[in-house]
Amino acid sequence: MSCKRHGTLGVWLALLALCLFIISRSVFNTDMSAFLPRSPTPTQQLLVEQLRDGVVSRLILVGVEGAPAPVLARISKAMAARLRGDSELVAVNNGERVGLEKDFGLLWRNRYVLSDAVTPQRFTAQGLHDSLSAYLDLLGTPMSALAQRVLPDDPSGELLHLLDQMEGQAHPAMRDEVWFSRDGTRAMLLVQTRDSGSDIDAQERVMQHIQTAFDAAAQPLQVSGARLQMTGPGVFAVQSRASIRDDAWRLSLIATLLVASMLLLLYRSPRVLALGLLPVASGALAGVAAVSVGFGSVHGLTLGFGVTLIGEGVDYAIYLFTQIEQHGTPQNTLQRIWPTLRLGVLTSICGFSAMLFSGFTGLAQLGLFSIAGLVAAVGTTRWVLPNLLPAGFSVHASPRLGAAVMSVVRHAPRARLALAVLVLAALSLLFVKRDGLWNDSLGSMSPLARESQLLDAQLRNDMGVPDVRYMLILHADDQESVLRQGEEIAVILRGQVQAGALDGFDVPLLPSHRAQLARLAALPDAASARENLEQVLRDLPFRSTTFATFPQQIALAKQQAPLDRAALQGGNLGLRLDSSLLQRGSGWVLMLPLRGVRDAERIGHDIRGATRSPFILLDMKRESEQMFHDYRREASRYALFGALAIVALLFVSLRSVRRVFEVCLPLVAAVIIITAGLMLTGHALSIFHLIGLLLVVAVGSNYALFFDRRCASPQDRERTVTSLLFANASTVLGFGLLSFSQSPVLNALGSTVAAGAVLSLIFSAILIDGRDA
Amino acid sequence: MMPRTLIFLLLCLPLLCRAEATTTTWGPTQLMQDLAQVKIAKATFTERKFLSVLNRPLESSGTLLFQSPGHLEKHTLKPKAESLVLDQGVLTIDIPARNVKRTLVLQEYPAVWAFVESIRSTLAGDLPTLERFYKIVLDGDAARWKLRLLPLDSGTRAVMREIRISGRGDRVDSIETFESNGDHASMDVLEDAP
Repeated sequence: MSCKRHGTLGVWLALLALCLFIISRSVFNTDMSAFLPRSPTPTQQLLVEQLRDGVVSRLILVGVEGAPAPVLARISKAMAARLRGDSELVAVNNGERVGLEKDFGLLWRNRYVLSDAVTPQRFTAQGLHDSLSAYLDLLGTPMSALAQRVLPDDPSGELLHLLDQMEGQAHPAMRDEVWFSRDGTRAMLLVQTRDSGSDIDAQERVMQHIQTAFDAAAQPLQVSGARLQMTGPGVFAVQSRASIRDDAWRLSLIATLLVASMLLLLYRSPRVLALGLLPVASGALAGVAAVSVGFGSVHGLTLGFGVTLIGEGVDYAIYLFTQIEQHGTPQNTLQRIWPTLRLGVLTSICGFSAMLFSGFTGLAQLGLFSIAGLVAAVGTTRWVLPNLLPAGFSVHASPRLGAAVMSVVRHAPRARLALAVLVLAALSLLFVKRDGLWNDSLGSMSPLARESQLLDAQLRNDMGVPDVRYMLILHADDQESVLRQGEEIAVILRGQVQAGALDGFDVPLLPSHRAQLARLAALPDAASARENLEQVLRDLPFRSTTFATFPQQIALAKQQAPLDRAALQGGNLGLRLDSSLLQRGSGWVLMLPLRGVRDAERIGHDIRGATRSPFILLDMKRESEQMFHDYRREASRYALFGALAIVALLFVSLRSVRRVFEVCLPLVAAVIIITAGLMLTGHALSIFHLIGLLLVVAVGSNYALFFDRRCASPQDRERTVTSLLFANASTVLGFGLLSFSQSPVLNALGSTVAAGAVLSLIFSAILIDGRDA
Repeated sequence: MMPRTLIFLLLCLPLLCRAEATTTTWGPTQLMQDLAQVKIAKATFTERKFLSVLNRPLESSGTLLFQSPGHLEKHTLKPKAESLVLDQGVLTIDIPARNVKRTLVLQEYPAVWAFVESIRSTLAGDLPTLERFYKIVLDGDAARWKLRLLPLDSGTRAVMREIRISGRGDRVDSIETFESNGDHASMDVLEDAP
């Protein structure tokens, strides 16, 4: 016996050591990969890349508020000055005219190759007449000074044309030379990080730098009320990681303390309490190791939720410990409850295996984690715990509690009619609201608290940067081809803007080589420039001396070599080019963000009709919703398979239609009523609710099976029911606390499981007839 | 009793005189207070601009509308329809004939901003803003005054040398601008009867 005992412990310890070894060599990641499909479509691939690495993912919006405007402006300037030297940031903008001279100079020097208005007609007498008349109009406005400055060297108006094209981009309000919200209560900065938004550690560092810059700027001014706010995809990633981590840690700690106190009262032995945690601990190690081996890496999300999912493992120890009768041994107890416990674990595994097949990497990892974890937990309970329990251990729950519980259980079946009515009512509610059952919006997937989402919307609104929702994406083998495609499509889009299908779009500043050469060729020589000007000046009131140097200048410009990408670097313009023109794989990608899209379908249709260039019109919102919709549908489908597998398993084990029906009924009733309850409280179901329901079935099936188990004596029945009560209490404590989390994800999971566990227990008592002797 | 009262009154006399003097001293503060009383004003204007790049003056005329403190509209009717609307620091330039609509956030164009503020702040009686951009020299009296505005910022000075606004009471009669390159413009304003 002792030898066998040592052998068992040895095997267990060896397995744990193996798990630890695997874990020590595991790769842990926290990027967005868990949220992405394993086999994405090309559009999804683009979407995912944009969300993960795109320029949008690298923007951080910063707000400073809580002080008078002049103070906020000083803070903004000091922060920007400090952050501009930060190597982790590629751009810091707060409205100050820093670096604009560089851009302006670039536009001015290269206006003839950059302006798409340059054609041979532009420099004919008629063309110059048009542009100079436009100048004349401008001379009557407050822009007259600017117009006069550029007029002599740029009579065809290329610089103004270029500036006009850049109009319509973000225009926050300004006070004291820096960007402010419209109401003047918040100074605004826009920061672009070097690393992608999915590099959460880098984003966290940048957030710290911004905080430090704020502190350093605000401290000398001695303003106590000034506050810093940040938002953006990277900030969200950092916050949600922190909030899930903090909430999960904090709430798990409180839950552990509560559950431990309860069990300590029950067991009256710290050693037994510690033993009770062994199954979960072993399960967690086994789960991480299995995921590491199966997937090559472990996602942070899996770690966070996995342990929650195998919380059922705590119940195993409770079932064992609380059902040892006086003067009995753990082995005897196990003999009695093992078939039920085993069936319960198998049922849970059937449920979780649904997740294993998910195309959603995060879900699949969670599935594998739970299965490996539960197998390890139940194995530890079955083979390890009995060997470690102190001899003669048994639990003495208060006899009054037992009697009271049994009296409730005996009377429970009277509530069947009421329950039937409740379930029917819930079903009809679900039927009525069946269209609004699922929430596929990104918001529901976002692990962010609602306040963060609101703050983001507000800062974006203040900044005048709407969500980038539509993007036109072109792809070609080389840079020149993709730029040519862009030019071709820009012409079509300009027509669309005129027709009102959208407000505008951002074109890359760099023209294709071909377009640049065509523009240089379109420039007149000095003689014809002079001649055409003279002709125009006959009917326009400009002094001819004004344009004295223009003919030489344009002749000089004609000799200019075309620009390449490097020539545009060093300012905001170069930065914008880098974010829209990318080398990807063997080819080049050009992205044109579209603003104020009103009719996406028409835009796509018209472009297809006008060009054969391949393009993708990416609707980030619809595409991401579609992606999550697909996941959710897939997850529901697998959940259904899981349920069928559970029923099949029960048939094989229980061999009685009636018993299978009785075991399933409380679970089905609990799921229906929880779902109806969620709908009533205004929660449409997300994928996390689905996971929660899966957990309800996993935990609840144990209750139902124990109620269904034939007990040898009333004492046995009482012990069984009491142990279910304690197991249930520990689940409710654990998950109930999660529902206090700010994170919608944890909240959904916590409230669903806590309520579902209670209902499954109550419904099992109501619906399952004891078949005791 | 009598002498005492008399002495008291004599002692008070200088004080009373000074109080009297304070109320009658007319200066930028008083002028701005008067101007600030006008909450809404409509007027017609005629403008002549003498620009070095042109060989004849640009002439235009149209209507003005001011709503205190931040809304100003200038609608040119001749020779060509054109409108300038200033609202909350954003200037919209609309030239329908050319299908041109430009929106300028004034703070991004300091020189334009300074010029626009010279008119807006004067009409609104906003002395602090005016003093932020200009050194102020006031000539004349309440009945007939002339405000000379000299830009403080060197960038603005590079473009604008001086703005002269003259008026009577709480009304503006004319605005003259003298640019640093020798260009100048004058606008005569005829306010509609309230």
